[in-house]
Amino acid sequence: MSQTSHTPTAGGDHSRPSGAVQGPQRRLRLAAYPSLLAMPALLLLIAAMGYPLLTVTLRSFSDPAWGLQNYVWFFSTPVNVTVLWRTFSIAAWVTIVCVIAAYPYAYLMTAVEPRLRLVLILCVLVPFWVSGVVRTLAWVILLQDSGIINSVIRLLGFDGVKLIRTQTGVVIGMAQVLLPFMILPLYSVMRGIDLRLVQAARSLGARPARAFLEIYLPLSLPGVFAGAIIVFILSLGFYITPALLGGPRSTMLSTLVQSQVLSLLNWGRGGAMGVVLLVATFVLLALAAPLMRQRHKQASRS
Amino acid sequence: MGSRSRLAGFVGAAALALLAAAAHAQNAPPAGTVVDGSLKGKTLTFVSYGGIYQDGQVAALKEFVDKSGVKLLNDGPTEIAKLQAQVESGNVTWDVVDTDDFPPFVHCGKLFQKLDLTKLDISHIPPGQVGECSVPAMNYGMVLMYKNDTYKDNPPKDWKDFFDTAKFPGTRAIDGSGSPLGGLIEQAILADGGKVDAMTPADIDKGIAKIKAIGPDTIFWKTGAESQQLAESGEADMIIMWTGRAMTAVKNGAAYTPVWKDWLVVMDQLTIPVGAKDTDASYALINAYLGKKSQEILTEQTSYSPINNEAQPKVDASVAAFLTNTPDHAKLGYQQNIKFWVANFAAASDKWTALMAGN
Repeated sequence: MSQTSHTPTAGGDHSRPSGAVQGPQRRLRLAAYPSLLAMPALLLLIAAMGYPLLTVTLRSFSDPAWGLQNYVWFFSTPVNVTVLWRTFSIAAWVTIVCVIAAYPYAYLMTAVEPRLRLVLILCVLVPFWVSGVVRTLAWVILLQDSGIINSVIRLLGFDGVKLIRTQTGVVIGMAQVLLPFMILPLYSVMRGIDLRLVQAARSLGARPARAFLEIYLPLSLPGVFAGAIIVFILSLGFYITPALLGGPRSTMLSTLVQSQVLSLLNWGRGGAMGVVLLVATFVLLALAAPLMRQRHKQASRS
Repeated sequence: MGSRSRLAGFVGAAALALLAAAAHAQNAPPAGTVVDGSLKGKTLTFVSYGGIYQDGQVAALKEFVDKSGVKLLNDGPTEIAKLQAQVESGNVTWDVVDTDDFPPFVHCGKLFQKLDLTKLDISHIPPGQVGECSVPAMNYGMVLMYKNDTYKDNPPKDWKDFFDTAKFPGTRAIDGSGSPLGGLIEQAILADGGKVDAMTPADIDKGIAKIKAIGPDTIFWKTGAESQQLAESGEADMIIMWTGRAMTAVKNGAAYTPVWKDWLVVMDQLTIPVGAKDTDASYALINAYLGKKSQEILTEQTSYSPINNEAQPKVDASVAAFLTNTPDHAKLGYQQNIKFWVANFAAASDKWTALMAGN
């Protein structure tokens, strides 16, 4: 969160020094304007993100004619609203599953000896290097009605479970793809937590559960929030996984955008969908931000 | 209003195109001719859908490349949105584009050039398949495949049975990979007791409702590979499959049987984009592609049916069983009302998308 609050300053500053980078005292000036260091990243963002985003936004208001028709269409078509809501709900579920799965894992990474830690890190990173499509197809084989999970369940004498082409299947597949984005920030925060604080709490008579809940958990929350935000936002744009693991009732907004732009050439409508998703995400993050900042302060105080 | 005038325009233009074809047929060099060294130093970019299909098309064009001296570049997959961006920016890098059925009709004259049929020999193309802006690239079908184990002695015989979940229980899988399946919606209207000879947009709703009535467990597959995987793992009891994928699935051991009655006719289309750099070279490529020998190679390599009625591809029995141009199969095919679907493309797509999204 502290990063986001700095960005506007960096963006506001850069116009001043960029005109002044001349003359013999270049190095000194660079030191005086540290925000210059953000220039390469900023330029890349403007070229690769800012300009396309601007075009998409403009077209959502201007294609096929100037006006709000694309937004009126979006909100007056029931399927869009249903799918928008579903997109956020799936993203929320994926985030919850990732937190639950990643938290103990990241903790384990801080607790074990270095060699075992390396193995644990590799377990996170190796699937990360495999293409998302391949991993999703592997999930198809695992989750389908005649798949491995259902075969085992039936072998044990139970009825099969419907996993593929359900929202559950989509959440499982997406959570697996996104897990590294939760584990790594969590691990980096947990690594910095002084475990002697927990020992101190214990020595003052706290039971293990209380020591964890009152000392360790609050200190690890910044990692949870950082991971949760990354996972949540990445989930919103997922396309391949819901398309392969989901059914009609787990279609996400990206699929609707795809059909508007690629098969109907309705760039305006597709753009409006993207803008609605973006604005909704910002609103949601703005609502969540004060809450997180509060927790963050508490954590650093203790 | 707009759709009706577009429909009228379509009919009128189609009639004109036919007249033009009759008048100029003898002017075009016979399909398959390539003039030696005629395109030396030139480059053509051919765009299609990749995989064995595009490999087969490249093989079919090998003689054209060798003789004419052209440098052939391949690109893909075909995205109409990408083509639109090229046309709008005035920098068209694609010379010949393979598309699916509807786009050349929907965007004829805007994204795709109206074809000059004096430059193409269309005399061997199956009747009724040449559009104002496109010639067919291949023929194939969508065929209903049922699982042998599920239906044993009482298998489904036609699309009515496909929609009859009381008499034929079991999961259905439908092609949800792209554009609305006009043919399937028409069959749904028929199964619902409706008529398709004078369809109105309201009929689209009826057809879609009938498809939806199959039930919430219906699978809409997104890629050809996925449909094949469904068959090979026995996930669905009835699957609508492309004939090429159906053939491969059966070859790989899927215990499914095709129902040929009213199989849905599908083609790919060959087009020349508006603003293509060297139109004459594009025509030369298409005319070579339409030749007998090229089409034989295409079918032998891809198992899709040739679009030259003289082609005699050498294929084994397992491939021949799924060719759509054999006399037994050809007469059973069902041709969707392309004019209707093109005129109502936007409405049909919106409704189809809503069906895909569970609404």
